[in-house]
Order: sequence, then structure tokens, then C-alpha cells
Amino acid sequence: MADLAHEMDLGHPEHESTGIDNRKLGMWAFLSSEFLFFGALISNYLLYSNRAGFTGVYPSEIYDIPFTSVSSFVLLMSSLTMVLAHNALSRGDQGGTRTWLFATAALGAVFLGGQVFEFTEFITLYDMKLTTNPAASAFYLLTGFHGTHVAIGVIMLLSLWGISRRQGELSEKHGMNLELVGLYWHFVDIIWIVIFTVVYLLSVPPA
Amino acid sequence: MTATAERPTTTIFRRPSSTTGLWSWLTTVDHKRIGIMYGYAAFSFFLIGGLEALLLRIQLSQANAEFLTAGAYNALFTMHGTTMIFLFVMPASAAFMNYLLPLLIGARDVAFPRLNALSWWIFVFGAIFLYSTFFFGTSLAPVGVDGIGGIDGNLAAGGGPGTFNFLADSPDGGWFGYQPNAGPLYSAGTAMDYWALGLQIVGLASLVSSVNFVVTVLNMRAKGMRLLRMPVFAWMTTVTSFLLLFSLPIIAVALFMVTFDRQFGSLFFAATNGGDPILWQHLFWLFGHPEVYILILPAMGIVSEILPTFSRKPLFGYSAVVFAGAAIAFLGFGVWAHHMFSSGITPVAQAAFGLATMTIAIPTGIKIFNWLGTMWMGRIRLTTAMLFAIGFVAMFTIGGLSGVTHAVVPSDWQQTDTYYIVAHFHYVIFGGAIFGLFGGMYYWFPKLTGRLMNEKLGKTHFWLMLLGFNLTFAPMHWLGLQGMVRRTWKYAPETGLEPWNVAVTIGAFIIALSILVFIYNWFTSRRRGQESGLDPWDARTVEWMVPNPTPEYNFAVPPVVGSLDHFWHLKYDQDAEGRAVRKPDGDEIVARIEYEQLNPAEPIHLPNPSYFPVLVALGLPIMFYGIIYHETLWGKALIAVGAIITLGSLIGWGMEPLEEPHHVEHEDHDQVGEASFDG
Amino acid sequence: MSVEEHTHHPTPAQYWKIAVVLGVLTAIEVAMYYINDAYNLGALNAVLLIILAGLKFVIVVGFYMHLRYEKPTLNRFFTAGFILAMALYTVVLTAMGVIAIRGA
Repeated sequence: MADLAHEMDLGHPEHESTGIDNRKLGMWAFLSSEFLFFGALISNYLLYSNRAGFTGVYPSEIYDIPFTSVSSFVLLMSSLTMVLAHNALSRGDQGGTRTWLFATAALGAVFLGGQVFEFTEFITLYDMKLTTNPAASAFYLLTGFHGTHVAIGVIMLLSLWGISRRQGELSEKHGMNLELVGLYWHFVDIIWIVIFTVVYLLSVPPA
Repeated sequence: MTATAERPTTTIFRRPSSTTGLWSWLTTVDHKRIGIMYGYAAFSFFLIGGLEALLLRIQLSQANAEFLTAGAYNALFTMHGTTMIFLFVMPASAAFMNYLLPLLIGARDVAFPRLNALSWWIFVFGAIFLYSTFFFGTSLAPVGVDGIGGIDGNLAAGGGPGTFNFLADSPDGGWFGYQPNAGPLYSAGTAMDYWALGLQIVGLASLVSSVNFVVTVLNMRAKGMRLLRMPVFAWMTTVTSFLLLFSLPIIAVALFMVTFDRQFGSLFFAATNGGDPILWQHLFWLFGHPEVYILILPAMGIVSEILPTFSRKPLFGYSAVVFAGAAIAFLGFGVWAHHMFSSGITPVAQAAFGLATMTIAIPTGIKIFNWLGTMWMGRIRLTTAMLFAIGFVAMFTIGGLSGVTHAVVPSDWQQTDTYYIVAHFHYVIFGGAIFGLFGGMYYWFPKLTGRLMNEKLGKTHFWLMLLGFNLTFAPMHWLGLQGMVRRTWKYAPETGLEPWNVAVTIGAFIIALSILVFIYNWFTSRRRGQESGLDPWDARTVEWMVPNPTPEYNFAVPPVVGSLDHFWHLKYDQDAEGRAVRKPDGDEIVARIEYEQLNPAEPIHLPNPSYFPVLVALGLPIMFYGIIYHETLWGKALIAVGAIITLGSLIGWGMEPLEEPHHVEHEDHDQVGEASFDG
Repeated sequence: MSVEEHTHHPTPAQYWKIAVVLGVLTAIEVAMYYINDAYNLGALNAVLLIILAGLKFVIVVGFYMHLRYEKPTLNRFFTAGFILAMALYTVVLTAMGVIAIRGA
């Protein structure tokens, strides 16, 4: 009886009816809602990206595919480093965890740097700003929100890295946080997989 | 259980620990207190929204009246709708869901108590942010645009002629903010920014809640509480949470797009630059239609709890009611363009959405017939809660019937933008959701306070409200069909619309009177109401297996659930004909449950209070104020300050354990209900 | 929590191999882009690119996000969100004329 009563204590959820940790279930629920978020942004882009009649340059006229391919590859590889960080932690390799966490954050930062560079080129060389036309607005909103998600991810990764350095190790609670951040990070990566294909490789300006 | 290896102190502040007083309410993570706060806030907004409605009704009670200016009228109907939907019905439902969900499934709290507190604080700060538009918002006359006649000079800045112009500087684009009307060109000024950003904040609160509730229901159920043994209200909470989870991101994107158009010059909805107004409508209603099911399903859940209790019969067709609720939610995602039948969508789209809309009548009808079946041949007790539940069934059915007529596309072309539609949605939201919420308030009042609300006053409230409600909204059906147009501040005397409008206004004031009766009843019953004991209604479900008012820890001993209506089966057997027969020792069983729950054998450890939810939430409106005024230096500073507060608090939260190591026992076994609110 | 540790996890070596596969798929995608530029494959280009993207998507979700080895509940959440988004936005884009179907 006492065990049952104690089991109810929230700090120690030993009996979770689904057998899935609360936080993990919560993160997957949140990520599944993000499909609706990014779906709206991608649909918005698809609506305007090849609509005729806008003034100013269309995004698909000025993509630098080689450049974006490289930054896409960088982000993709950051998923590898992320999963290696998680793997290191599960083996108790705290130093390895730190290394791979930092690597993931670094690759994410490189990706973001690439975005910033790309946007700067678009604005200065081609005069395509948020305010140029609806297609440009849609492009910047989509990639901007994706970039914001990446930035938040980088902050979370660096926080975990910092906590690990400060404490010498990641405790079990923080270990779960690493897994959660990992799920978030991979999700942001798969959204980019879709964006790279649909927005960069497939979209064309109006005839 | 001993604490594991030392947890380093990583928090900057000492953990709050008070259990009484204002600080305890600011730092609470207890779902019951959070529910209570939601409830009081929601009801306050109900009163404000009601005042807004009364002002509208005064204006409309006379043809060609100029009691309100046109500008004030537009602001008032915008804020009335926005307030009632986002700041009353949704948080009122949240109040019930928060307070009850853990109790209904036999748990001690929700899965993420601090996240729960976060939802609440985000909500209340967002609501205050939205309403601060009354003080800070500006609403400038539309800028004239070449080629579009009739704007310049038609509407003077501030709202035009009329007596009451206060509030003309508030959001006036309708609760649905159609673009580009509510965009930077035609709604210059800051009022609609407060609207868009305010809704963004309160939407986030609901999204966070929805994740919490979904995980709670899936993971925190007591032993034996299989999903299909949960009370219907727990099911409806779950279904509503899924609706929120999947529909809120869509409106979030739409509101970001509007904010970017208004603040940063993007061109998503700028018709003159190629932006598509229909895009707004699709995105808004993709959210907006599931939203109306978010509004009604919790109340349907409440009714499904009240009817069986006061019919002394199990809910007829429990599984069907549950699955019908899920079906309504699922189908509800597929019908949004029925709000756009006259917006120029293609005939194929109109037919498809018209057909889809009709299908929702099926699961809805299943619920209605099952509620009737529950009452049929039951031994009915007409308590106030029961009256409201029956009122729900009747009024919602009427609203549903007018809804079916909207599904017929050509018929809708006549009805749309007239008062016929206003009649429909008030019958389902007011006659439906709000009646259900009132029923819930009477039903679960003892859980909060340990007392019963006064039945005489309650019945007065009910009958006055039923009379007032029908007098207000029934005439709107024929007023609409006679051509009275929505969202228009005046009508001419030649239209002949005045007499019934007078009746409508009288009805509105009767509603107001009934609410005064309710408020009086609520506050006097809290203090002097008859004590309820554990089981005042001879109820069926596990939330009644804890003493009233609910102890802070909910269950001292968690229930081990053997069936649906577990509590009922502890008290009652069935005779040969299947009728319920109270067990000879039924009263002793109840008394023993009460004793066990009041006297836990071991100290019970609850999650500690925390500062971080309120701090994280605080950063958001600060940032958003900054966004509205981002062109100034101090606006930019606000954005930075808000972001730092939110981000820093999130990091602090991440480092704070849910529970501190247990070296101090809880000395107070006082039952913490509303009595502690001594602020 | 203890349940998690007993489920199968790919080894680091396997993770590296998966990364190589992902890199190769990306390279093929980019190559397709230039091939289409030169020879204009029309709808075939779109189909192939979407398949390639889909493969990358499923691989990252299945192996890196570990969904392949998790309890079905998580898969259901994820799939539900994905399918709902696909369905809703396909309808919107069709209604707005971006996706053209006869008569709609």
C-alpha cells in the first residue's frame, strides 16, 4: 500500500501506463504538432513561389545550390554527432558526450552561419528582402523560423555541454534532457531535409 | 526512498516553500490551485465580455442609434468575440480540466506540474497584454489607396459620430481578423497588433497544456484505470487536447504572418502586392473550426458526468459517447471551408465541405440520443446542475439544427453574415458550452469548498438564464433571415428590425441579472453553504472518493479501479433485473474511504513550488511589447530584456529538480482548498 | 526508465554507416538537380527527388530518432501529425489552385 502511495509521487514515476517516460512522450507529442507549424509555412511558400505577376526577384531565381547543398550536408552530419553524443552518454563516456555535444552545436552554428551568409547575399546582391514580394516573404519566414529553431537547439546543446563541464558529468535527469534535445535536433534536421528538396531543388519561378 | 548522490545546488534563488498567502499562489504547481486561478480569471473575462455585449445590445436596440460610434461598435464586437472565446470559454474549460483530470484518473497531479503552472501564467499575462490595448492601442483611419473609393473621409479617425467613443482605439478587425482588412493598410495603428500578439501568447498557453494533459492521461492513470474505464470528462479532455495540439500551430503561423505584415512589411496578405486574402481565411479556419470543437467537447464531457449521476443510471452507451467525441474531433479537421462558402471557393470545394459538414451531425446525434437514453427511465433528481445539463442538451440541439442548415450550401449563402449565424453559434456556445460549464460549477463546487451551492438561488439563476438566453438569441434566427446583417453598427427603421431587437436587448439584460444571482450564490455558499460531506450527490466516479474540499495530495491511497463507474460499484450491487441496490454497508464503505483519504499512513511528498514558471511567462509579454514598438530604442530594449528573462528562467528551470530532496515532512495536513486564498 | 536501456541501439559504427548513406542520398539529389537542369525530366524529377528526400527522412526518424525501436505509441503520434499535416495542406493547396486537379 505504501509502495503504491509512493509510486504516485511525481518525482519517481515508476509506473507509467504506456511504459514510455513522461518527458519523452511529451516531446514526441510536441514534435508531431510541429508538422502542422512547418506544414503551414511550407504551404505558404508553395503558394507564392511561382505565382506570376510579382515585382522583384523570386527566390528560386537566385538559389545557390552548391552552397546550400554543403550547408544541408553539414546539418545532416550534425544529426550523426548528436546521436554519437547520446550513445557516448549511454556508455558512461562523459568526455565523449561533451565532445560530440559541442560538435553538434558547432555544426549547427556553421549551418546558421551559412544561412546568414545566404540571406546577406540575397539582400545585397539581388535586392530580395522580406518586403520585396509575397514569394520572398514566404521564403524568409520559412527559412527564418527554421533557423530560429536551429538557434534554440544550439543554445540547448551548449547548455547541456556547459552543465556537463561544470558538474563533471550529466546526471540521469540531464541524460534524459540530452535525449530530448536530440529528438528536437533531429526533427529540425528532417524539416530541413524537406525544405532543401521542396524549396531549393524543386521550386521554379513562374514561366 | 533516499535521495541519490548529492544534487548540486544550481538554482540561484532558494526554492520557494510557502503554502499560504500570495507567494504560494504565485509559485504553486498544484493543479487544483492552477484550476482555481484559471476559473476566477475566466469568469472575470466572462463579465467583461458580457459588458461588451450589453453595450452592443444597447446600440442595437434602436434603429439608427448613435449610442456607440461605429468605431466603438467594431471594437466592442471584436473584443466581445475574442474575449468570450479565448479568455472565457477556453480557460474556463481549462479550469475544469486542470482541477479534475488527475482526480478523475486517480493521480496526484498532472505529468508536468511546473509546465502546468507555466500554461497558467502565460495565459494570464497574455490576457492582460491583450487587454492592455484598451490603454495603449491605437486605431487609425484607413489610409486612402488610389483606385479604392469610399474610404477617405468615410470614417473619421476615432470612430465617427456617436456618444460613446471610448474603446474606438481597440482591435476592431473582428475576432477572426480577416485580411487585408485587419492588416497594416486598412487597420493602421497598434490595436490589431495587440490582438494578434495577445492571441499568440494565449495560444501558446493552450499548446503547453495540451501536451501536459495528453501525457497525463496516457501515463498517470491509477491501477486498473484502463482508457475505456475513464470518466467521459477525462476522455473529452484528451480529445480536446489533441485538437489543441494539432490546430494551434496553424493559427500560430497565421498570426506570425499577420504580425510580420503589420510590423516588418512582409506581403503575405497585401492584396495590392499580390498577397492572397483567401490564404488567411484557410489558415484561420483550419484552426478556427477545430477551435469550436475545443469549445464544446469539455462541456459535453461535463454533461456526460452530470446526467448519469442525477438519473441514477449509467451513461447510455459509454463507448459510443467516447468514440463519437473522438469522431467529432477527427471530422472537425475536415470541414473548415464551410466558413468560406461565400468567399469564392470553387463549387467542388463547396460541395465537398458541405458534405463533410453534414457528417458531423452523425456522431453529434449519437451523443444526444445517448444522453436522452441516459435519462430515460432514470430516477431523475432536478438539481441545478442537472437543470443546466438538460438545458445543454436542449439548447445545443437547437443550435445543432441551425448548424445543419448551414451545411446546405445555397442556404448558407443566404444565412452567412446575417444574424441567423449569430443565433446558431450562440445557441451552441452559450446554450451549449456555457450552460455545461455552469452545470459543472454547481456539480463540482463541493470539491473546491466542501459546501453545496444554494439550490433555490441556483434554480433562480437557471430559469432566469434560460429565459433571458432564449429571448436574446431565438429572435436572431428570424432577424437574420429578414436581412439583419452582422457586424454593422446600425440598421434603418424602414427595415422593421427594431421591435425584435428591443426584445433581444431585454433578454440580454435578463441574462445579466441571472449572472448576478449566480455570483451572489457563489460567494455566499463558499462561506455559509451547507456542508457537503464526501459524497453529496451519491456519485459514480473516482473524483468523489476524496474528501471535500480536496486535500492537497488528492489521494492518500490511490484507487485500484475495477470498472467503469468504480465508485458506484463500491456502493451498489445489481439486483436480478439489473437495478442498482445499495449495499447494506454502503454508508460504512463511504465513511471508511473518507477516513483513509484524510489520514495518510505515510508522509506524502508533493512537487515543490517554483518561481520559474511565472518568470518564464513574464518574459513573453515584455518581448511582445517590444515587438510592437520595435522601431524605438526602448522597444528594442524590451525585446532583449524579455528574451533574457524567458531564456534565463528556462535554463534555471532546467537545472531545478521537480522535488527537492526529502528532509522536511509536510506538517500541514490541512485540506487546502479555497480557504487559503487570503490575498 | 529502466525499460529504455534494454531496447536495441545501433552501434557507433552503424551510425557512421547511416551517415554515409545519408550523404550519398544528398549527393544523388544534388546530381539530379543538375541532370534535370540539362535534360528536363519533368515530373520524373520531382518524383525522384521526393523519394530521395523521403528516404532520408525515414532513415533519420527511424534510426537517429530511434523510432524504429520505440513503443508503437510514439510512432502513432508522429505519423498522425505528419498525415494530418499532409492531408490538410494538400486540400488547402488544391483549393487555392496550386495543385491542379480536374474540375476542382
